[in-house]
Amino acid sequence: MSVPPADIVRGDRFIEPLLRSGTWLACALIALGAILHAAPPAGRIPFLGGVSVFAAWAGVAILILLPVARVGVMLVVFALERDRVHAAIAASVLLIIATSVAVAL
Amino acid sequence: METVWLFVAAFAASALGGVLGMASGIFIVPILTLVFGIGIHAAIGASLVSVIACSCGSAGQLLKGGLTNIRLAIVLETATTLGALTGVILIGRFSPATLYALFTVILVVSAAQMLSRRKEMAIVDGPPPAGWATRLRLHGDGAPGASSGAVPYRVGNVPMAWALMYGAGLISALLGIGSGVLKIPAMDTALRLPLKVSSATSNFMIGVTAAASASAYFARGDIDVNLAGPIALGSVVGAIAGARLLVGLPADKLRLFFVVILGLLAVQMLLSALGVHPVSGAG
Repeated sequence: MSVPPADIVRGDRFIEPLLRSGTWLACALIALGAILHAAPPAGRIPFLGGVSVFAAWAGVAILILLPVARVGVMLVVFALERDRVHAAIAASVLLIIATSVAVAL
Repeated sequence: METVWLFVAAFAASALGGVLGMASGIFIVPILTLVFGIGIHAAIGASLVSVIACSCGSAGQLLKGGLTNIRLAIVLETATTLGALTGVILIGRFSPATLYALFTVILVVSAAQMLSRRKEMAIVDGPPPAGWATRLRLHGDGAPGASSGAVPYRVGNVPMAWALMYGAGLISALLGIGSGVLKIPAMDTALRLPLKVSSATSNFMIGVTAAASASAYFARGDIDVNLAGPIALGSVVGAIAGARLLVGLPADKLRLFFVVILGLLAVQMLLSALGVHPVSGAG
């Protein structure tokens, strides 16, 4: 039986919990935002309205940033393994995403 | 109240799509534009967030199974993100009618793809051929098969797959979908990966592809969180529920049902492109 490549074994140790916990945190924030928005007191207590908007915004922002963070983790893992080629490729993916945001602004 | 209906719609699309192993992204934009009367640009932004949510939600489990080829994913992500960057630059130049027309084409191709079953074309033995896959050490050393432990495989034509993935990234940014329609030929035909490795690696990449354009649209203020939030939540919960509750549904009948739905949506989107139905919000 052949051995899986080292990156698969080491990489998923960091990436799997990041993606799982990040998705759940984002979903919890979005749900909190929606519940507070729909809850009767939201209209009467300005503070709750603000929390509702922020929770929804933060949830969506975390979801969008999760895959970017995942590429960042891969960059670190490749660098630790002294795999310069794949580290450079991961860095270029981050650079392309940054360029995408820059052209949109 | 609309929030609840958005959640329900995304939940249903994701749960049913999950039974056939397909992402719900392709249904979200038509549902939002045709049923909820939302402008296509707002619908694309919301759909991208749900595509990311589904990818991240399931990627962890697939990583645990050791099926995802991480090196191959990062190499191909240079293509999908470059395609997405091109899409971010170009989307403002496309009228809503053009985007509806492009979506119609993708729906028709997806329906045709769904009718033809994917064939296992993996190369599992022989010496590694000279080429990019060998140079970049992309071959599978031991992807576990369905039940039989390690199945080594060779990765095929990387430049051709890269070109297809660029197209997938472009389409993803323009239409707010995961672009499985282009990724499947890239992974199955060009790279000749085992189907399970192909699906896991493709799903892993979809999140980054969608994030490249979604982060740009979010920074530009084009993503409405009140729309994207319930859609993303419904998609994630729907994918989990679909995997657990709907496994008993007959896949063949469901496949035919989805082909019919994709066809009907294609007709509706074409009518919107032609201006037969008023294009709500007009972007």
